[in-house]
Amino acid sequence: MTTLSRLTGATALALLLGLSGPATAQTSPALTIGMDVDAGTLDPRLARDTTAFRTADLIYSGLVQLTPELQAVPELAESWEAPDATTLVFTLREGLTFSDGSPLTADDVVFTFKSILNPDFAAPMRALYAPIAAVEAVDARTVKFTLAAPYAPVLSYLDIGIVPKALVEAGHDLAANPVGAGPMRLVEWNRGAAIVLEPNPAYWGGAPAVGRLTLQIIANNNARAQALEAGDLDLIQSPLSPQDIARLAADSRFQNTIMPGLGVTYLNFNTRDPLLADPAMRRAFAMLVDQETIVNEIYQGVDAVATGVILPSSWAYSADISQPGFDPEGAAAAFEALGWRDSNGDGIRDRDGRKLAVTLATHTEDPNRVQTIEYLQAVMQQAGVEASVRLTDWPGFSTNYVQKSEHQIALLGWLNIVDPDRMLYGQLTTGGPLNWGGYSNAEVDAALTAGRTALDIPARTEAYRRAAAVLAEEVPYFIVSYQGYQMFAKADLPVKPTASPRGYLRGAIMAPAN
Amino acid sequence: MLAYTIRRLLLLVPMGAGMVVVTFGLLLLIPGDPAALMLGQEAPAEAIAALRRSLGLDDPWHLRLGRYFLALVQGDMGMSLFQSQPVATIIWGRLGATVELAVAALLLASAIGISLGVVAAMRQGSWVDTLAMLFAQLGVSMPVYWLALLLMLGFAVHLGWLPAVGRGAPMSEALWAALRGRPEMLVQSLSYLVLPAFALAMNAAAVISRLVRASMLEVLREDFVRTARAKGLRRPRVVVRHALRNALLPVLSVIGLRFGALLGGAVLTESIFAWPGLGQLTIAAISQRDLPLIQGIVLTFAIVFALVNLVVDLLYAAVDPRVRLE
Repeated sequence: MTTLSRLTGATALALLLGLSGPATAQTSPALTIGMDVDAGTLDPRLARDTTAFRTADLIYSGLVQLTPELQAVPELAESWEAPDATTLVFTLREGLTFSDGSPLTADDVVFTFKSILNPDFAAPMRALYAPIAAVEAVDARTVKFTLAAPYAPVLSYLDIGIVPKALVEAGHDLAANPVGAGPMRLVEWNRGAAIVLEPNPAYWGGAPAVGRLTLQIIANNNARAQALEAGDLDLIQSPLSPQDIARLAADSRFQNTIMPGLGVTYLNFNTRDPLLADPAMRRAFAMLVDQETIVNEIYQGVDAVATGVILPSSWAYSADISQPGFDPEGAAAAFEALGWRDSNGDGIRDRDGRKLAVTLATHTEDPNRVQTIEYLQAVMQQAGVEASVRLTDWPGFSTNYVQKSEHQIALLGWLNIVDPDRMLYGQLTTGGPLNWGGYSNAEVDAALTAGRTALDIPARTEAYRRAAAVLAEEVPYFIVSYQGYQMFAKADLPVKPTASPRGYLRGAIMAPAN
Repeated sequence: MLAYTIRRLLLLVPMGAGMVVVTFGLLLLIPGDPAALMLGQEAPAEAIAALRRSLGLDDPWHLRLGRYFLALVQGDMGMSLFQSQPVATIIWGRLGATVELAVAALLLASAIGISLGVVAAMRQGSWVDTLAMLFAQLGVSMPVYWLALLLMLGFAVHLGWLPAVGRGAPMSEALWAALRGRPEMLVQSLSYLVLPAFALAMNAAAVISRLVRASMLEVLREDFVRTARAKGLRRPRVVVRHALRNALLPVLSVIGLRFGALLGGAVLTESIFAWPGLGQLTIAAISQRDLPLIQGIVLTFAIVFALVNLVVDLLYAAVDPRVRLE
């Protein structure tokens, strides 16, 4: 009796091992992807670098998943409804489990969002979830979100990974040993070198087409491109150097995807600066931005010329709205009309004995931005503006300069604009937390508030177009380019990778059917 | 000699403390708020202020420095702001890779530098000498990151002989496996090590070859060399046993000092070859203003450098009987 049951157990174990171990490893290929930074953490709630986001997206699953077209589709939640404008009720799929086998229930969802909303937890993305007033578990498979006010973009942010409550409360360190309900699970994390993942058999959506995924960290952009050419890597993605892009694109060994990304590169005008307080003055400066040359020569055509604050891929985009274009004569006329003339013939415009001088700033990590700002300086100099350039590294530029509103004109970017609200509300409403240029316009405030609280797309579209039209006229932001996203992969990969504008990698590991 | 060693080791304490104070001062001077960087561009000012308070970044500098020292004497280098791990754990995990790379580069640089220097000195004024010194000129003037990319382009991308980036199994494990009859691992580890070690070694090799050449030329003119030749000893024996041994003495101390430059070069080499060592970590830590991690790395580099120079000084005494350590 005992022997028999032991035997059966052993056979079952052998069968199990035979089926789940070597078999999958043989049939599913391995894939190595180059990443530009190491992840700081693998706890999705604390992620702040691109690798952390991209890896967490593989290890964890959220209530929803965003498609490459940014539509929220069911992931852990099989469905949801909005009984009224401030309530969202999600129903979880049946039988969900984390990769350690423990069940995933509504309690885990509630715990995840409560910890993100807890100020002491210092979650980098907390501001995005701030309008959530309450989140509660109705039953084991039902979660109810109550919003303080209608907040249309919220669905786009509910793709953040759900973490296991019991494990975290027991003191488990998710940052180093992640446990999620996503398609992959962590095998090994060799800090600074590589993150190795394998399929998570507990994933609700079935097995990925890749048996082993190595995320190899190579900080240097040129080295990453060369590693692809040398065959050490199967796939690389933005950020890449324009010179490498041109070379790789001409190489038939690689497939190449280029698509509009979710970021913009823009000029932030400090509207509280006496020189730049007048919209006419900002417009004159904007007319000196030669976007065609910047995009085609400096960014090698990977980015696209921007026309306004809304991404062309967004439902809210309208081709009829357009910020000032490159027009040096128009700029000259505008400066003249505002009283800035070269009265002493030194080549620099002046007014009331003061020179027309402005400081252009950006950060040194991105050589393309440095080139852009130097090119702007040259064009401005020709137009009679004494433009000086301030270059520091990112910490010195962002946290100690722009975020303290000490700039005049700064070149920087916004990323992950999954909803127009994300790049506009905090940034351009009066007193908004990210309004470093101190811009204030009642009409824009009203339109941006309407855009976030209106619940149907036509009403939101109308609101954002209203705001975009005013902003194109007043230019507190001048959007230089819409960032492109680029991916290169070996032409003969077993799974044809589908790119996502955020650089998320599920499209590279899941068969297209998923 | 033992007393000397102990005294030198004790000197590490004030040196380390000095390094901490200098690094701390520099970190106070460079702009950039770690709290704001931790929370990212989208964080509102209140959240940043709250995090600054909870990290103790708003406390006066002497309080922060005092707190750091207090923890340090208890063996605690603090927690990394960005990696949610203790600084000591992170550094310990990376130190081996950097030491391996630096030692490999130093051995390579010494081998190349000494042989080139000797050959150049023996054939002074010939084309061999010109070629060797041309190499030295190139090695001294070529920036390490550029050389690194060139090597990668040549040997990994075009020829495909060596992997472009990454590291194999640690050399200690690979050697152990090779001793037990499994050399594949060692071959693999070496294939990863060759390019970064060579890129890092070039500069030091060039400096060493110049120095060996100059030193050899001087020694070859000494009386004892002529005496040795006159006694009928053959030239190679005179060069290696008599001249080189004396010529190497000044070179030895330079090699010790070059180790510092090698650690600096490792910062660039590692980030290009994705070598998971302290150099790469340094760049990441500085760009994130991860203050405790930067402090820890600088302190570690300083201690390693000081220890290597201590070893060199001891070797010097062992090789040259004229040197007495007191």
